[in-house]
Amino acid sequence: MNTKQTIAIIGATGNMGSGISKNLSTGNYRLLLFANELSKLQTLETEILAKNPTADIELSECPTEASWEADVIILALPYPAQQQIAEKIREVANQKIVISIANPLNETYDGLVTAPDTSAAEELQKLLPNSKVVKAFNTVFAADFAQPVIAEKQADAFIAGDDQDALQTASELVVTVGFNPIIAGGLHVSRTLENMSLLLIQLNLKNGYNWLAGWKILHQ
Amino acid sequence: MYEVFFQKFNQRTPLTEDEENFIKQYLIPKKLRKRQYLLQEGDVCKSIALIEKGSMRTYLVDPAGQEHITAFALEGWTIGDLPSFQSELPSIQNIEALEDCELVLVSKSAHDELLKTMPKYEIYIRLLITDAYMALQKRTLNMISLSLDDRYKAFIDTYPNIAQRVPQHMIASYMGLSPETLSRIRSRMNNSK
Repeated sequence: MNTKQTIAIIGATGNMGSGISKNLSTGNYRLLLFANELSKLQTLETEILAKNPTADIELSECPTEASWEADVIILALPYPAQQQIAEKIREVANQKIVISIANPLNETYDGLVTAPDTSAAEELQKLLPNSKVVKAFNTVFAADFAQPVIAEKQADAFIAGDDQDALQTASELVVTVGFNPIIAGGLHVSRTLENMSLLLIQLNLKNGYNWLAGWKILHQ
Repeated sequence: MYEVFFQKFNQRTPLTEDEENFIKQYLIPKKLRKRQYLLQEGDVCKSIALIEKGSMRTYLVDPAGQEHITAFALEGWTIGDLPSFQSELPSIQNIEALEDCELVLVSKSAHDELLKTMPKYEIYIRLLITDAYMALQKRTLNMISLSLDDRYKAFIDTYPNIAQRVPQHMIASYMGLSPETLSRIRSRMNNSK
């Protein structure tokens, strides 16, 4: 696409948010970065511009304003923050793609707080009924953004959603960030994706992968 | 956020509050900064935009690299590339914000769905396209039949206050004139006041 899309990244200074922001800044996107702490946001901006002086980024003071201006909204926030932010952006996110990256982990990282018949992404869809919610980036670790090729294999990044155009846009974002996109299915498949992330976290803790690990589908 | 959109809609076909709320579900509120694009040549025009605030232009670039402005749009106007929007084929035009803009977008899928489910939306679109067709015909006839001074007057009638908001070279491009010719017309008209 020639027309530059505007992406709002809410929670841009977190481990995941900063990885997404840095990697997307290399693509044909204009990024609106929002986080609660302005000083951290300014540090992130300096880091991005040091590596890529032509990056089209702007710091935003308000998640609602950033989402109003955006074509795509990435919520790079932990699951417990989801409800509050959804209320702030509901009106301006109407009909827009909203990407959920959250894994609804419990405090001890050994289970999910969501019921088995739902997922963080499906809960977000209920909060934003007129938005096109897509699950993406939840199956990769934050460190993977700096190194998307691990043991000579490009990590897969799974995507789930119910709108075909939104899935296509999310796939393009995943490619720009550096992972191999795999569309896993409808939004209900987020349940599986969030459980895959839980399993990877547990294996990481057990086997000492040092948080640099990912999923890869092997096939012919 | 949708005030002008529904004001224009209600002028063409009045809506109840429930109908407004039904349509609202399909609308995309969007902001563009000055010089940002809603559409660039080679992409499919995926939505039509009603301007709540600001101004925009559509233009194409000829093989010699020369820009030709094909339309301006101000508050309350709808802008898009209809052939690309309808056919879902790449556009040959660019749509750019001339000022910071607040827009209401209707995507192709939302447009198709509303046409199917809501007769009043179909009426609204029919009247919108009829008006656009009449404006296009008037512009063509003006090109053929009016003197340059009268063509400029007709332009100012169509786009009130535009001379204060848009650079003169863009108005010249829209009228198919050189900036020098436009400048002569303007000074003639000022002298005759």
